[in-house]
Amino acid sequence: MAAPVCIMENITKSFHVGDQDLQVLKGVNLTIEQGEFTAIMGTSGSGKSTLMNLMGCLDVPTSGRFILAGRDVMQLNDDELSELRNEHIGFVFQSFYLLPYATVLENVLVPTLYREKKKDHVRDRAAELLKLVGLEERMKFRPTQLSGGEQQRVAICRALINDPELLLADEPTGQLDSRTAEEIMNVLTRTNERGKTVVVITHDADIAAYARRTIHIRDGIITES
Amino acid sequence: MERFSLLLIQSYEAVKAFKLRTLFCLVSVALGIAAITIIVAATEGAYKKAFDIVASFGPDSVMLMGGSEESRAIGQREKTITLDDLEAIRQAFPTAYVVAPSSWVGSVTVSYKGNRYQSQVVGSSSDYSIVWTWPVVEGSDFTEDDIRRYANVGIMGQEVARELFGDQSPVGKFVQIRNLPVQIVGVLSERGTSPGGGSLDNRIIMPYTTVMKKLINEQRYVHAMRLRFTDLENIDGRVEELKRLLRYRHRIPDGQPDDFRIFTSKDIVKFLVALTGSLVVFIGIVGVISLIVAGFVLANLFLLSVKERIKEIGIRRAVGARKQDILMQFLTEAVMITTAGGVVGFILGLVSAQLLTYVAEFPVYFSWKAFAIGLVLSWVVGVGFGLHPARQAANLVPIEAIRT
Repeated sequence: MAAPVCIMENITKSFHVGDQDLQVLKGVNLTIEQGEFTAIMGTSGSGKSTLMNLMGCLDVPTSGRFILAGRDVMQLNDDELSELRNEHIGFVFQSFYLLPYATVLENVLVPTLYREKKKDHVRDRAAELLKLVGLEERMKFRPTQLSGGEQQRVAICRALINDPELLLADEPTGQLDSRTAEEIMNVLTRTNERGKTVVVITHDADIAAYARRTIHIRDGIITES
Repeated sequence: MERFSLLLIQSYEAVKAFKLRTLFCLVSVALGIAAITIIVAATEGAYKKAFDIVASFGPDSVMLMGGSEESRAIGQREKTITLDDLEAIRQAFPTAYVVAPSSWVGSVTVSYKGNRYQSQVVGSSSDYSIVWTWPVVEGSDFTEDDIRRYANVGIMGQEVARELFGDQSPVGKFVQIRNLPVQIVGVLSERGTSPGGGSLDNRIIMPYTTVMKKLINEQRYVHAMRLRFTDLENIDGRVEELKRLLRYRHRIPDGQPDDFRIFTSKDIVKFLVALTGSLVVFIGIVGVISLIVAGFVLANLFLLSVKERIKEIGIRRAVGARKQDILMQFLTEAVMITTAGGVVGFILGLVSAQLLTYVAEFPVYFSWKAFAIGLVLSWVVGVGFGLHPARQAANLVPIEAIRT
């Protein structure tokens, strides 16, 4: 069996709030194997956003051991973290975050701008990904010309363009109606079925139900159901 | 390389997308660069014109004029230089290959078969075309013999020739100068205008002996004298010696001012530089101030833009942009805009300098240098004032930038 995508051992994260230290994560142990489809559930304030930021290497833990895609995250500097995110993590956010002035195709290609190891045929690959989510006709459109569901599908393509080990979706359906949410979750399910490790952070049990494994986080501690 | 071209494309998209920001930055940079372009063109024009004038005046030439600075200032032209001075100078300066007297009558009516023209008559020695590096294009100079004989002969400038003779050749014909019938023996080439702006082609050159005796009734004094030296490298020393000789001959006591003035090509350049200099300084100050203002406009609009695009920066960082990638992106946007501003400014400067030449005698000359300086300055503004906002963008913490 291949090495786990993500290993967290006794991870803590504290923030300075005024003159107090606020511990948001209080010793998280979590391993995510390759090919898993995992949901991390929690209410707001539970520490799930912090966990998501750490898992996405947008922030570093205060203490603990954290291996992602075989790299010891605690040892990396800002540039190396950027490189790690670029190559190994794909992000899908609640509010899509597409560049309003760029076309759908250009948006999908943004991560390739920052890729150290250049790959050929990135445009073909982007077109292929867009075709998989049914947007091949919309490549020249601007994000504002698309519906929310379509925008999120573009965001998923962007997350997958560099072929990352881990697809990290933070409330991916938070701004969508239930039918469109279902559509997006189906896209994520299909992505997982093609072998991609998917982690969805959500507060919605219906969304978490798509995943094969659900982890609950409450007051900075996780429990598995 | 591909990364760089993608960066350019993305920056271009952003430049296109944030139209108001682009427009304001571009216009403000363009105004500054336009002013700078005019300065460079004017400076170059002044130098080029000075160079032309020095070349036609002759770098080895010295002009000696009668009368002190003071009398010149109050509009008097004293006659202080005599034909004896001329002879003394000829003997004292063996390296002076030209020592030519000059006397003139400012405004004389010249007529030919009913055609009349107001001309300036200049009396000179026989080698006028050599003395002034001003070739005779038709016919010939008058001769040494003509000088001795007080001959009624003359050579004329293009303008007089055109006005009096039209398409005909004046050579061999007689014109009437005052009551004097004068035979035209040659025509000078076109000379254009003097540094002061007057036409130089309206004159008739005659033997100085004829002019002195028959037109101004003068025995001793000439208005001016022109000298040319073979030893160009010693010209400053020669000017000093000339000054001493004349002070001695004119018996000027120490402490009294000269009763003559001496000009070299350097003085002419000085005059010209003073003429354009003040305008250049004025536009220069305007140009520098407007470039600085443009810089602040750019910096402010970019800071606003960074605030506006926090989410964009956050997502770029999330998908793997390093700090320096963000820095480069904003700098590229800034430089792209200022470069466009520089090009627009150059064109603006070109047009307005052209307009300036219509309203004022203002030499401008455009070369790649003016363009290059404008371009480099626009980059300096782009990088210099874009750096702070670009840094702000690069140093945004990604999780704060994308927090919903």
